[in-house]
Amino acid sequence: MTAVLRRAPLLLPLLGTVVVLAVATDSFLTGANIENVLVAAAIVAVPGLAMTFCLAMGEFDLSIGSTVSLAGVVCCSAIIAGQPAPVAMGIALLVGAAIGLANGLVITKLGVTPFIATLATLVIVRGLSLAYSGGHDQIVSSAALKYLVGGRPLGVPMPIVLAVVATAAGWWAMNRTRFGRWVCAIGSNREAARVSGLPVDRVRIAVYVLVGVAGAGWGLLISSQLQKGNGQLGMGFELDAITVVVIGGTALLGGRASIVGTVLGAVLIETIRNGLNLLNTPPAYQRISVGLLLIAALAIRGIRRAEARTLPVPVPEAAR
Amino acid sequence: MKSSTSLGSLWDTWGITAILVLLLAVAPVLTPDFFSLDNAQSVLRESAYLGIVAAGMTFAVASGAFDLSVGGQLALCSVVSLIGFAAGGTVLAIVAALATGLACGLLNASLITRLSVPPFVATLGTLFVFRGLSYILTQDGPKTLPYDQIGSPFVKIGGLNVAGVPVPFVIMVGVFAAAWLLLRRTATGRRVLAYGSSPEAARFCGISANRLRLFVFALVGVSVGIATLTYITRVWTADGSAQDGFELKVIAAVVLGGTSLKGGKATLIGTFSAVLLISVLNDMLVSEGVPSAYQRIVLGGVLIVALTIDGLRTRFAAPGSLRRALSGGRTPQPGPAR
Repeated sequence: MTAVLRRAPLLLPLLGTVVVLAVATDSFLTGANIENVLVAAAIVAVPGLAMTFCLAMGEFDLSIGSTVSLAGVVCCSAIIAGQPAPVAMGIALLVGAAIGLANGLVITKLGVTPFIATLATLVIVRGLSLAYSGGHDQIVSSAALKYLVGGRPLGVPMPIVLAVVATAAGWWAMNRTRFGRWVCAIGSNREAARVSGLPVDRVRIAVYVLVGVAGAGWGLLISSQLQKGNGQLGMGFELDAITVVVIGGTALLGGRASIVGTVLGAVLIETIRNGLNLLNTPPAYQRISVGLLLIAALAIRGIRRAEARTLPVPVPEAAR
Repeated sequence: MKSSTSLGSLWDTWGITAILVLLLAVAPVLTPDFFSLDNAQSVLRESAYLGIVAAGMTFAVASGAFDLSVGGQLALCSVVSLIGFAAGGTVLAIVAALATGLACGLLNASLITRLSVPPFVATLGTLFVFRGLSYILTQDGPKTLPYDQIGSPFVKIGGLNVAGVPVPFVIMVGVFAAAWLLLRRTATGRRVLAYGSSPEAARFCGISANRLRLFVFALVGVSVGIATLTYITRVWTADGSAQDGFELKVIAAVVLGGTSLKGGKATLIGTFSAVLLISVLNDMLVSEGVPSAYQRIVLGGVLIVALTIDGLRTRFAAPGSLRRALSGGRTPQPGPAR
């Protein structure tokens, strides 16, 4: 039990929240509600997993919220223009990949720091999305697009299926492949990684493409839920994606990643959101609680690190 | 050799100012009435709140951190200030804005120093908290300045001109002058830069990291408080969503100005010019009737171009690096963004 907790410390607050909500509300522990929570968590987990690679590398991608919007707009307007839905979704994913590629190239080849480069693409891609949609809802009714969120292969909601597949793939890539090793190596010391002969630039570009595609996938899920694309969608989503990863235990400065943590982080946040909804809390309190959760997660880690520092072994100040 | 390094350091401080001058030179060609009194005043007035917060943020970035919560702080300060105005007029409104800003800054600082939460996460968390609090305070609708109070001194801050110069801009210039003195003429300013370039070395020199960070984040909070005075008296209304995405705009202005995100290098002249550059560009795009969607694209593009120039310059700053690059050797990468 302690071994499990050490590997997935989020289980404890998660169980606590579930118990509190089960006692405080009548409707939390119903099958339909738990499914709601898991579907919502699955939708955030998909981009969160990709973002885990980015943070493990010690970098951020702030542009993902705009990618969400542009992918939705592109997909929906392609459907409106008469393309079959699978083609439209493919185009949207390609757009996501292109945004990721642009991020990666600007960062590695032009030497712009990731924070600023993706901040600039956040603004640019948001502009493209608003311009392309003309500021209007692109409303569609497509059974194939709807299937992405509403479908139930073998009775399991489609987002959960997608998230499970993505988690398995992410865990495998992070822990069992050269690529995952490389990402963490770059995150702990990029210069050392470069000197050791790792293809640092190629790995970084690949991670940004991954985040771009995942962001587009997120956009498709959101558009599938709402049955529309809109230039305003996805504002602030970049912070959601990063929050899930950080709560999950991935080191903010790179070098260490937890795929399972990211998934648990997504479940924890969505459980709390759902609980606050059931308790009729206004949305404002939900924002506050997400913020407090973020601070608490890192404060606990900071206190642990401070305890570690009192050992006679010199520990370099890792967090700035 | 020597001339090239000094050219480089000149560019560091004055590069963005040169671009601003260039832009101002072509502005009247593209927008005939750019230099009309009305338009010039509106550009200066509009840049004030961004500039004041950017001045404070320059210190945070110079110390190697940044404050993502300034958007939430601005919303909260605005709402509290309006509540203060409704309760006690001008004095209470001003005190409320400044006190709220200081309190926000101190909260950030204590999370960072007492609980050792990294600044990025601490301020990301408080961004949610401050915005949430503002929403709670405006549950019955956005707070506004009542129109019948148009004569009160507080409301006039935003609209008044002194010898043709808008008061918000005067305040902004004052803040930048004070910030420049603080950064360049006091030990505290030196410490901020020293800590930014190497926290470890600064610690060995006897600089208290905790006290320094407390100072920096409190300073950002106070700058938001001052900015609120020029912001709220211009837009007249605020709720939790006020200035969504403000934090990114402020950091963009600071970095565009030439302050290094890695810390240890700061230029307030650069920040000042970058703020004006953004306002001028915005104004030109608006008066050319460019749809707001395309305005974003242009601004993002400007940011990338400016940072690319900077990135290339750093990359080729080392002696002989250009020759190595041309002969196909690997050039050293600019360091990680911290």
